[in-house]
Amino acid sequence: MNLSFLRISIWVYLAIFFLYLLGPLVIMSVTAFNSSAFPRMTPWECLTFQWFGELFQDQRILNGIKNSLIIGAGTVVLSVAMGLAGALMLTQIWPKLRATYYTIIIAPILIPGVVLGISTLVFWDRINRMLGLGADSVLSNGIFLTVIGQSTFIASYCMLVLVARLQRYDVALTEAALDLGATHAQAFRKILLPFMRPAIASAAVLAFLASFENYNTTTFTFGEYPTLTIELAQKVRYGITPSISALAFIIVALTVFFALLNEAKLKRQELVAAARKNATVEELAGKIKLPSFFAGNVAALLVVVFGVATITVVGTATAYNPAQCIANVKEQKQLEAEQRIQELRKQREERRKQREAEEAEQGGAQSMPKPSNNSGFGNVFAPNTLGGGDEESSSEPQPSTNGGFGGAFDPNSLKTD
Amino acid sequence: MPRFLKEFFNRNGTGMGLAILGLVIFWTIGLIILPQLSMLDFSFRPNLPPPEIGGPKDVYTLENYKYLIYGPEGGSQDYNAVDLRVFFRTLLAAVCVTIFNLILCYPIAYYLGQSKGSHIRIFAIMLIIPYWINEILRAFALRIIFGETGVLNTLFMGLGIWDTPFDFIRNDIALYAGLGYAYILLMIFPIYNVIESLDHNQIEAARDLGAPWWRIHWRVVIPYAKPGISSGCTMVFMLSAGALAAPQILGGPSSLWFTQLIYQQFNDNNDWPQGAAYAIVLLVTCILFVLAVMRLFKVNMGDIGK
Amino acid sequence: MSAGVGVDLENLWIRFGDFVAVRDANVNINGGDFFSFLGPSGCGKTTILRAVSGFLDPSEGKVLIGGNDMRGIGPNKRPTALIFQNLALFPLMKVWENITFSMEIKGASARERRKRADELLDMIALPGQGDKLPSELSGGQRQRVAIARALCAEPDVLLLDEPLSALDLKLRQHMRTELREIQQRVGITFIYITHDQGEALTMSDNIAVMRAGVIDQIADGKTIYNDPNTAFAASFVGENNVFRGKIRRVMGTEAVISTNRTGDLVARISTANQGKMREGDEAMMFVRPEAFAIASDDAPGDHCVTARVKHEEFEGNVFNIFTEGDGGKEIKVSLPNVGQSFEDHTGQTIRLEYETRNAVLVPAGELAAE
Repeated sequence: MNLSFLRISIWVYLAIFFLYLLGPLVIMSVTAFNSSAFPRMTPWECLTFQWFGELFQDQRILNGIKNSLIIGAGTVVLSVAMGLAGALMLTQIWPKLRATYYTIIIAPILIPGVVLGISTLVFWDRINRMLGLGADSVLSNGIFLTVIGQSTFIASYCMLVLVARLQRYDVALTEAALDLGATHAQAFRKILLPFMRPAIASAAVLAFLASFENYNTTTFTFGEYPTLTIELAQKVRYGITPSISALAFIIVALTVFFALLNEAKLKRQELVAAARKNATVEELAGKIKLPSFFAGNVAALLVVVFGVATITVVGTATAYNPAQCIANVKEQKQLEAEQRIQELRKQREERRKQREAEEAEQGGAQSMPKPSNNSGFGNVFAPNTLGGGDEESSSEPQPSTNGGFGGAFDPNSLKTD
Repeated sequence: MPRFLKEFFNRNGTGMGLAILGLVIFWTIGLIILPQLSMLDFSFRPNLPPPEIGGPKDVYTLENYKYLIYGPEGGSQDYNAVDLRVFFRTLLAAVCVTIFNLILCYPIAYYLGQSKGSHIRIFAIMLIIPYWINEILRAFALRIIFGETGVLNTLFMGLGIWDTPFDFIRNDIALYAGLGYAYILLMIFPIYNVIESLDHNQIEAARDLGAPWWRIHWRVVIPYAKPGISSGCTMVFMLSAGALAAPQILGGPSSLWFTQLIYQQFNDNNDWPQGAAYAIVLLVTCILFVLAVMRLFKVNMGDIGK
Repeated sequence: MSAGVGVDLENLWIRFGDFVAVRDANVNINGGDFFSFLGPSGCGKTTILRAVSGFLDPSEGKVLIGGNDMRGIGPNKRPTALIFQNLALFPLMKVWENITFSMEIKGASARERRKRADELLDMIALPGQGDKLPSELSGGQRQRVAIARALCAEPDVLLLDEPLSALDLKLRQHMRTELREIQQRVGITFIYITHDQGEALTMSDNIAVMRAGVIDQIADGKTIYNDPNTAFAASFVGENNVFRGKIRRVMGTEAVISTNRTGDLVARISTANQGKMREGDEAMMFVRPEAFAIASDDAPGDHCVTARVKHEEFEGNVFNIFTEGDGGKEIKVSLPNVGQSFEDHTGQTIRLEYETRNAVLVPAGELAAE
């Protein structure tokens, strides 16, 4: 009894945990397909792909992606190189210096990103001035500063990944290579590097993702080159639209796809290794009969399912036209809005009458009615009000009155009468 | 040449040795130590227009630190109540987020670390995937959920639990949920790594001796997992105290995070030395706080990051 | 057989901080020899090997290969090839790539390398295994691949660092013969490091016995076994019974020592110590288990030891009798099984005799750990 109760509570806990972890991503992804101009799941209006179209026409997003890719590439190269050098140094440093050295190279992980961004900015600005260079020099270039700032701490992550593998490296292998006539560079390239390759690949992926999603450091250093994350933050802070959900959906989909692909690859390697182990010498000497790619490989199956689903979705997207649905919803909304306006008018009329009556009774001079006190936010979240700062030029008509709060919360609707 | 360097070059060759040494020096000195020192130095200087930097007015001053405590000179209040309140609130909230994450993550880390089976790997992937999604987008996702017409409000209003939208954002619930959400993985992995290496027989033995499950955790698992727990807590605390994106996106209009003050000093007021001073205060306080807590729980610095 | 390239160590000192790993080593290794350094772990033999291969700089003294001073010449420039204790096969390369790594470094084409690999694989009796990974081979096969890889570099001197230690007993014995054969075939100098005296004795032309950084004796196997220089060499190489005492009288190459429990005994002074041992010196006499026999009644007293039998065991080719001997140390006696009948002596006191030539006298000194 007790045990099964424990078991159930574990599963309930797991369910809640993963709901918290994955729920937001699912909901965000779903909002990308709702025609509502405010990203939301309920009420569901129409299935639409318009937000993807909007996304791909957004020059700032595209430019941000370009900058992110450039900066990501630079950061990967610099931080993997520094991380590898740091890891190599850690394995051979004089024991007395080891603890201090470790503390120094691990510290950037714990230093708040904001602090790293500021210190990078301040330091290179000073170097720039000391060298007497102008404001347009390489050292004050946004890409340079961002790569440098991000690499400071991303290299620490890389170092941790690399040192884990390096600890399993047998130094005798390098010595064997040297002994057989290789130079140090050859031994590094032909022996150590191939051994480290999986870890270097992991570190590079990690570095790229960390660079791609970094906000705290980049926000101080980007200068003229806003990354995708910076652009996203600007958009999210000053008004959110489902085109961000569309981008999020793409990123989530890519992430899931690559995670599954990776898993499938690992699984396949495992199966192959198992097969090789079981195979007799003759079989190996002859031809290795690989197990079918899918046999016992759930992840591989999922990858294929995922691919098919993607093709289907894209296919539907090109063929599907939600115009009719949107028009219907619009019409209905307009009706609702009108209705609401009518109601409001009625209310106001009543209030006015009441007030007149009160005024008549009290004879006092009451102030004007408080405008739009309908929401705790006031109009903070009405997309249109804040969207004004958004220079996004969209070919789609902005259904402003169809905003998430209906027409009721739009102050304009009150002014019209 | 010192013996250590000679051995180093013997072992790595001159070219490779120079490359390794050069990269390490560039990283540690050029990217880690000097910028921090430079920022420290900067925080003691007045905010001057570029032509006057290095001029006669460029002298060391405590002005920037005084500002945090006493506010602008001739201000109406004795203390800079606004900034100080933000500062302490940030620290307190970061502690709360850390505790929340620890409570949330310890069971799952324990479960993942001690169970076997293929589903564990799937769980691991499910854990990692959110972490690969952009920080901004994760905050954005939560904002969709916690928004006034978001999923939660729609759900609860639909169920009739409350009938006017609850303002999660103004009440900072969205912010705490977002911060907790952002750093779950950083709490789980260090604990998981340690617990994975705990011999399951120890737990069996404790159970065999009749210990109830909570005592097994209190006396066996938690002491063993202490390095992982402290590592996770340190990272989550430092990162939430230094978070910028989540407060900017999920914070209510009236509740600022200390990093937002730093951001304002830099980007809106264009007062770099002031911002640097605030950054130093944040960094030093966080480090001292972490060291104090680590001493309290008797953990070593070397355990962090493992 | 070709003359080969010799290796000389001249006044070689190697220190790590305060620790002296090798103390004033002087060794001449002839070209084409199979030369072993024999000693317990930690005695500095691997350190010498690393100094010869170039991974370590001597603190003092010289390493000469073919008469050339090797100072300042890196491991990749020396005409040596080292076989590592754990073999250090490149795990990500196939067998043939491993074997021909030294050719790859020099820029040889894949076809050349393939051809050479096949030749070497034939030589080490692993034909057709070139496309496997090292992890797919057995211990003995890996061993041979490591040898082939080293030979492919065409070294003048092959250095082997306890390469057989990871193998099981049968394979180890088999590989001894094989290594010796390979050495004789290629005719280059082999320098072999081991703590296993059986390996050293069976394979080597000459052996250097090492103890705590010092070379005690350099000689061929027979000499080391029969005529050790020091107490350490006598006790480390093969089984030996030790009797401690003071020299009472020196008679040319022989001497009488007085022991506490077994009285005066006659022994031969080991060759290196002849003329150096004086009356009154502390000395040790060594008699091999197989050099004892049950004494006949008329055996002279100064060639006999009396001891009480603790227990006996039958090992097939020999009977072992363990007796309580001098200084609490037990005396082991091995009687060859040549069809005679044996009676059980357990609990009895027996007399054991030996011949003078089989009792070796050396100055008292440190014994090898059991």
